[in-house]
This record gives sequence, C-alpha cells and structure tokens, in this order.
Amino acid sequence: MRITTSRSTRTAGALVVPLMLSAVLLVAAIFLGVVDLPAKDILAVLIGGGSDDADLIIGTIRIPRIVTGMLAGAHFAVAGLLLQAITRNPLADPTILGISQGATLTVAIFLLFTVYGASADAHTLYSLPLRWLPLVACVGGMSTGFLVFSLAMRNRLSVLRLTLSGIAIGATLHALAMGLVAGWGSARFEIVMQWLSGSLYARSWEHVIFLLPFTVAAAIALPLLHRSIDMLRFEEDVARSFGLSYRLHFSLVLFTACGLAASAVGTVGPLIFVGLVVPHLAHFLAGRHFGMVMPLTVVLGASLVTGADLVGRLLGQAEEIPIGVITALAGAPALLILLRRRS
Amino acid sequence: MILKATNVGVKYGAHRALGAFSLGFSPGEIVALIGPNGSGKSTALHALAGLTSPDEGEVVLDGREMRSWKRRSLAKRLSFLPQAPFAPDDMSVEQLVRQGRFAHVGLFQSFRSEDRAVVEWALESTGLEDLADRGLKELSGGERQRAWIAAALAQESGILILDEPTSFLDIGHQVEILELISRLSRERGVTVVIAIHDLNHAMAIADRIALLSRGKLVFEGSPTALSATGLVETTFNVQGEFIRSSGTEAPYLQIRVRR
Repeated sequence: MRITTSRSTRTAGALVVPLMLSAVLLVAAIFLGVVDLPAKDILAVLIGGGSDDADLIIGTIRIPRIVTGMLAGAHFAVAGLLLQAITRNPLADPTILGISQGATLTVAIFLLFTVYGASADAHTLYSLPLRWLPLVACVGGMSTGFLVFSLAMRNRLSVLRLTLSGIAIGATLHALAMGLVAGWGSARFEIVMQWLSGSLYARSWEHVIFLLPFTVAAAIALPLLHRSIDMLRFEEDVARSFGLSYRLHFSLVLFTACGLAASAVGTVGPLIFVGLVVPHLAHFLAGRHFGMVMPLTVVLGASLVTGADLVGRLLGQAEEIPIGVITALAGAPALLILLRRRS
Repeated sequence: MILKATNVGVKYGAHRALGAFSLGFSPGEIVALIGPNGSGKSTALHALAGLTSPDEGEVVLDGREMRSWKRRSLAKRLSFLPQAPFAPDDMSVEQLVRQGRFAHVGLFQSFRSEDRAVVEWALESTGLEDLADRGLKELSGGERQRAWIAAALAQESGILILDEPTSFLDIGHQVEILELISRLSRERGVTVVIAIHDLNHAMAIADRIALLSRGKLVFEGSPTALSATGLVETTFNVQGEFIRSSGTEAPYLQIRVRR
C-alpha cells in the first residue's frame, strides 16, 4: 500500500511542476513585452479597467497572441504524440505526414496568385490578404495528410508505407514551394520565410477563434479514443487480436492528429520541434503512468510555445526572433539528451 | 470441432503461401504445426486467427464464418500471439496484461473488479506476480514471452494460437514455456494451436501434429503416427531415427549430422 501512495505523490508532482511553470510563463508573458507597461496598469486591464493604451496592448495584442501560442503549442505537441504512438516511430511529427510541407506549398501558391491577382504594387506585408493564410494553410496541410494516408491505405494498411510516402510527398511539396518562392523572389519571399520559421507576430483573437473548434473537437475525441491510442502502439496483428478494429481506429486517431497539426501550422507556421520534443519530454516525466502523458503533453506544448515566444520577444525587442528559431535551438539539444537517457 | 479450416488458400500476389489447407480443432487439445521455413505455418495461423482473409475456402469458428465475427467478440473467443511481438518500451508487465482485457472492457467502460481478478490470475498462472511492476525491457526473453502469454490469457479466450513462442529463448526458457502451455491446456481446457520449429518439442507437447510442406498439409495425426511415416526426414531433408522410449512419452528424433 505504501508503494501506491508514494507512486501517486510522484504522479501528482509530475504534473504540478509543469503546471506551475506554465502559470509562471503565462504571467511573465502578459507582464513582459516590448512596450514596457507598469504592472499596475496591466492588473487594471485584467480586472476590467485600465487606460485605453494598456487595454489595447494587453487585450488586443498580448493576450490573444499568448492564447494563440498556447493552443497551437498544445496542438503540435498532441499531434506529435499521436503520430509517434500510431507510427511507432519516435521521430514522427507533423512533417512526417507532409502536413507542414503541404501547408507551405499552398501558402506559397496562395501568396503568388493573390499578389499578382490583386494589384502589382502590393508589396508590403500588411496589404497582403494575411487573414486568409490560416485557412489556406490548414486546407493544404489536411489535403496532404489525406493524400499520404490514402496512399498508405491502398491494399493493406502499412505504417512503414505511411511514413515513407509522407516523407517522399513532403519532400516533393517542400521542393516545389521553395522553387516557387525562389523563382518569384523579392518582398513576398520574406512573408513566406517569416511564415516558415513560425511566428506569433500580429496574431489576434481571429486566430484563436480559428483554432478553437479544432481544440474542442480534439478535447472531445481524445478521451473517447484513449484506450485505442494505447492499443495502436502495438503492431497491427497484436492490436487486432486484442480486439481492436485497427483500421477504423488508426484512421480516427490519424484524422485527429492531422486536424490538430494542420490548424496549428495554419495559424503560426510549421514549428517543427514542438511536435517532436514535447511528447518525449512528457513520456520521460510520466514514466510508466500512461494516463499522465496526454495532460503533460498539452501543458508542456502550450508552455514551450509561450516561453519561446516570450524569449523571442525579449531578446529581439522590436525585431522579434521567430519562435520556430527558439524552439529549434532549445528543442534539438533537449531531444538529444532525452534520447541518450532513454537508451 | 470448435475451429475448422476448410480448403483454405492464401496468395500473396502471385505466390501461393497456402493451398487447400483443411484442419479442425477440438476443445482442450494441443496441435503443433511444423514444417520448414516458408512452408506456410505462419500464414495458416494468421488465417485461423482471422487476421488474414483466405482467398479460397473458409475458416469457421463456433459454427460461424470467420469474416462475420466482430473484432471484439473474436478476441473474447480466440487469442493470437505473433512471433517476437513489439511492445512499447515504457510498458510494464501488468500494463501489458491489462491490455488483454480490452475486448471485455471496451473503449469507454472502466476496469471492474472481475477484470482485475483475471489480470491477477493471468499473472499468477505465468508466475509473474513478483514482476508485475517491471518494465518489459528489463525482463529476460523467457519472462517477456510469459508476459505476452499472460496478456493472451487475460483475454479468457479458450483458444490460444501461438506463432513460434519459443524462438530466441534458451533451452531452459523454452521448456518453461512448453510446460506452461501444456498446463494451461490440461488445467483450463484451453485449445492450443502452436507453430514450432523444434520437432522434438512439438512431439513432446502436442496431441496432434500437422506437417506443412510448400503450403500444403502433408500429414496430420499423432506424434507416434508421424514417426512411422518417414515424412519428417523427407520434408526437412535430414537423416536420423526416431527413438521410442518406454511408457507414454512421445518418440524422439535423433538427427544425424554428417561431418
């Protein structure tokens, strides 16, 4: 009995620390920024008062940006967790299904056509139809995911074929996007590059509203699917003889991962390392408590993106450093350490 | 006959892995499938377990065509253990065994006291009570194989199909697994279909032996009957002789190795 008690304390501790960390980051992200606002002004805004300036900065710029980042971070991390589980590949993340690359290509095509289609002097960032980017990228990412999935489902479902066609199609689409961008160059090149490196710059409540339906749908689907996700970590023959309708559940989980990843790529760009690193970190902290892995992934994913954005804003000041750069710089060594400790 | 294959044929592309395979199984018996590499043992087991749909013929379980069985009800009736199955490396023995209850618990229900009791029983029957909290990666090959058998037992399925469960184990662990299987069949009335490479182990454990060669069933009968046919020598292309011990023990093939 004593063993059980000490175990549950450890379980609680494993979640409490990341939760506290995430709360600290959240507060820091609200209070710290390029524009130095006095803490009491910020507090005033938070309880529903404050000056118009402070209200604009906090309520219209900082908070939606933080919320977008947290949602997108959780999306990426959970998508990575699901994909790593069902492909039994520790290196799986949304790029493995070509989701990010498909989104990149559609974004490139979209910018090309709208820029040339609208007006010739539409060079500046703000006159471009940026509000449509999330939807366009999301549709591109989802369609690529489905293309890869249907290739893998021909004849017999094969996880290896899923991974291989994902990598192949992803590489092709990425090459096409880069070719397109390089070919037409100039000012729009910057937009694509900025989008590619992942950024929360100028993210508003619109982006939150775009992400929320996906978040809610996944929050409903995942608890219902939790047992099949455990089952899908086995090989097909094993899962089926344990009684799982493998193809159906594989498709459902893949579909969920695809929606989460594509919507996040759409709003903040492809933040590759979040989907890759966070699930490993969550597994590491949870140990054998499978039930903890998913909540930890959500919390850590949200915190990592919030933290990376905060660091990027503070280090870069007005010329902020894109989050993608920070997550990659911080994530790669973290992954190497985790993989070393596991083996 | 609770499980019966009739004229089953399986093709992989142009390659015919199994042809006109007919074999039935009675409750509580142990049937060993033997044959050279690539003779269709694995394919036959997959067809019997409902994991491969035959291109010809049919497999019938409890009077119902295999195709009409739902995955979950099938898992309550029959469990299959592939050769060297992959397990997530953070899984403990008990967690693996609990997965065996999936068919009974389903997606939404939670574990009931009877499920916990069955998991306990499965751990006990395989001698794993003390290792329940161990990670699968920390186990020896024999212990890990026992954990998988325990997971299959937790299905309470009545029919156990095992694909070479003793491969990659040392001789001590091989015997341990064979004794476990034989005890399950005797004490629990579990029907066991087992593909196995070691001929003498097959002879020792099985009530009946089925010999496959190039996708065809060439013999089916008792170990003693098989020893009299000379089919083992021709199928495996070896020379040797069967030694008959006194009493009820199965004959033993002594292989001659030329040097």
